[in-house]
Amino acid sequence: MEKHAQSDAVAATIADAAADCGISLVASLPDGWITSLIQRFETDARFRHVAVNREESAIGLCSGAFFSGIGALALMGASGFLTCIYAITKINYTYQIPLLIGITLRGRLGDPAKFHQSNGLYLEPVIRAIDIPFVAIERGADIARLAAAFRHSRMMARPVVVGFTREALRGEA
Amino acid sequence: MDFAECFRLLAGRLREEIIVTSAGNCSELWWEITRESERVFYLDASMSLASLFAAGIALGTGRNVVALSGDGAFCMNPGMLMVERAMALPNLKHFVLSNRCYGSTNELPMRFPEHVDYAAMARAAGVERVYGFATVEGLGQALDEILGVPGYVFVVLDVEPLRRQLPSPPLDGPELKFRFGRYLERTLGRRIFDEPLHGNASSPSST
Repeated sequence: MEKHAQSDAVAATIADAAADCGISLVASLPDGWITSLIQRFETDARFRHVAVNREESAIGLCSGAFFSGIGALALMGASGFLTCIYAITKINYTYQIPLLIGITLRGRLGDPAKFHQSNGLYLEPVIRAIDIPFVAIERGADIARLAAAFRHSRMMARPVVVGFTREALRGEA
Repeated sequence: MDFAECFRLLAGRLREEIIVTSAGNCSELWWEITRESERVFYLDASMSLASLFAAGIALGTGRNVVALSGDGAFCMNPGMLMVERAMALPNLKHFVLSNRCYGSTNELPMRFPEHVDYAAMARAAGVERVYGFATVEGLGQALDEILGVPGYVFVVLDVEPLRRQLPSPPLDGPELKFRFGRYLERTLGRRIFDEPLHGNASSPSST
C-alpha cells in the first residue's frame, strides 16, 4: 500500500474510533502529520469539522460544546498544544470541563524536523507538569485507546491528551 | 454610552438567551446587575475565548447564545471573527464592549482602539451583519432585529469606563459548571453530565 493510502486508512480507523465513542465535533489546526486525518474529519458526515484560527480557539469551542452535550476533539500539532496551556489551565481546570485533545508527538526519535527540537525536549515534560493524563498512540492497535481516553476525560472532568506518533499515523507501526 | 446603563438595557431585554461573559468587567458588571447564576456562564478565568465557548454551546441548541466580551479580550484573539464567520451559526450573537481599557485591572488604557475600527475588522473578515452603537437608545432600537433575525451578528458597543472596581462573581468553577449545565439539561432537554459510572444496581461489578 502506498504511503498516502496507508495514512488514509489510519485516518479512517481513527475517525471510526472517534465516532464510536460519541465525538461529533472536531476543531483543528494543521500539522504535517495529521493532514490526512483532518481531511478525513472534514469529509466524513459523522462529524462537524471546524478549522480554527489558532489552537486556543479549539479549546474554547470544544469546551463550550461540552455544555451542549456534544462530544468533541481538539486536534492539533505539538507546538500548537504548547500554546494552549493558558486556555487549558484556566478554562478546563478552573471549571472542570472534560475535553479530549489529540496532538502529534513531534520531536520524538526519528522526527527529522530540526525546528521540532523544542518539542522533543519539552512537550512531554510540560504535559506531566500540568498533570494532564496522557495516552500515547504508537501503533495501530493503540487507536482503540481513544475511546478509553475520551471516557477517562469525562470521569476525571478534565482534559486528556492523546499523542500520535508519526509511525502510527503513517500505518508503519 | 454608560457601561452600566448598557448592561441594564441588555439585562432587561435578554430574557430567553443563554449568556457567556468574558473575564473582567463583563462578568463583574453582569453579576452586579442581575445576580444570575444559572443561564449565564461567567468565563471569568479566561480572556478572549468567550465567543468561541458560546459558539460551542450554540451548536447544540436553537436558542440564541450571546457572548459579551471586552475589547481587551477581543484584541487578544481577533482571528475569532474568521472562525465565527465560517461557522455562521444563526443563533450566535457576539457583543464586544469597547471601553478602551483593561477594566478590571485598574482601567489601564489600551493603546490600540484609537487606531482600530472593530466593526470594520469584522466586515473585512466577511461578517455580513455588523452593528455599532454609542448610545443606549440606538442599541435599544436595534436589539429586536439583532436578536430576532436569525444569523450570526457582531456588535460593537462603545461604552465609558466604569471608573470603579467590582468584585468577581462569587462562584467557584465547579459550582458554576453544574449550575449552568443543569440549567441547560433542564431547559434544553439534553443530557450533559454523565450518569454515574459506579453504584449501578444492574452492573454491580462496575464499582
